[in-house]
Amino acid sequence: MIFIKFLLIAILTLAFVIFSFSSRLKIFQKLVVIAGYGVVFFLILYPSYADEIAHLVSIKSGTDLIVYIVLALMALMTMVLYVGQNNNNKMITKIIRETAKKDAKKCQ
Amino acid sequence: MKNNLSSTAIVIPLYNEESVIEAVLKELRQKYPQYVLIVVDDNSTDKSIEKACIKDVYLLHHSVNLGQGAALQTGIEYAKEIGCRYVVTFDSDGQHDPDDIALFVQTLQNDEADIVLGSRFLGKTQNMPLRKKYLLQASRVFTWMTTGLWLTDSHNGLRAINIEKFPQFEITQNRMAHASEIISIIKTLKMRYVEKPCNIRYTEYSMEKGQSMFNSINIIIDYFVGNMMK
Repeated sequence: MIFIKFLLIAILTLAFVIFSFSSRLKIFQKLVVIAGYGVVFFLILYPSYADEIAHLVSIKSGTDLIVYIVLALMALMTMVLYVGQNNNNKMITKIIRETAKKDAKKCQ
Repeated sequence: MKNNLSSTAIVIPLYNEESVIEAVLKELRQKYPQYVLIVVDDNSTDKSIEKACIKDVYLLHHSVNLGQGAALQTGIEYAKEIGCRYVVTFDSDGQHDPDDIALFVQTLQNDEADIVLGSRFLGKTQNMPLRKKYLLQASRVFTWMTTGLWLTDSHNGLRAINIEKFPQFEITQNRMAHASEIISIIKTLKMRYVEKPCNIRYTEYSMEKGQSMFNSINIIIDYFVGNMMK
């Protein structure tokens, strides 16, 4: 096994361990993420299968297929993070507003 | 908490205006002693908050900078809580002329409209930079495309709102896209609106603090993304 495969698997394992201990996802979401990790592990170990899957969907090579999937996932992840951040902003705004109203003072 | 101090509140969002805020508030207080003045400091980093603390002014403070839209909404909510019927939104940089407020409030009191929007193109505004003029014309078109309302001035900070009749009036855009959002709210809540002339005093100081062209793009993005997230 070449060095880059060791490196990728090590990074992936580390990410998976951190995710397992820190995430608060529901069981279904966890299963989806575990399946995702499984697919990535498999493709690192057996990259030739990526080419075969790519050909099934009329894409020239496995590398292209992976790039497309990664781009789509990154766009999705950005959107999910944005929605999360937006919800947090709403909550922060609410807290700051309530505090401002509670602490309002009339200058003398 | 309702105590009916006055039927009208002037809400002034404040952010880093230490050199002008005191004069703005004193002029408002002198011309409208019967109105409630609500200043919402949006976490200024200069001495604005100290300068704004003049007699009988209600001072609210955001512990984090949220933006002008958020400051306006905080002021509007507070005005509702203390029992005001009408809210006038007024900029803190000294651009607005306090003399215009009387007509705005009178229009609401006569029930001629539910919201009065200031228009610098109907008033005697002088020294308006050409760049600003074109930018505002572009924003008119943008407002028409997004809301269907054809206004002469869609981004004017001077407004008067009947919050007693429309307690559901709520600004959710924290930053500058709130001006476009307000036009959308007018349409959504089917508010009767009217534009009244107002005089904008363009000074070197106010022009330095004005919106840049680049920021207009941010406003458009904020507006669309904000609508998507609703």
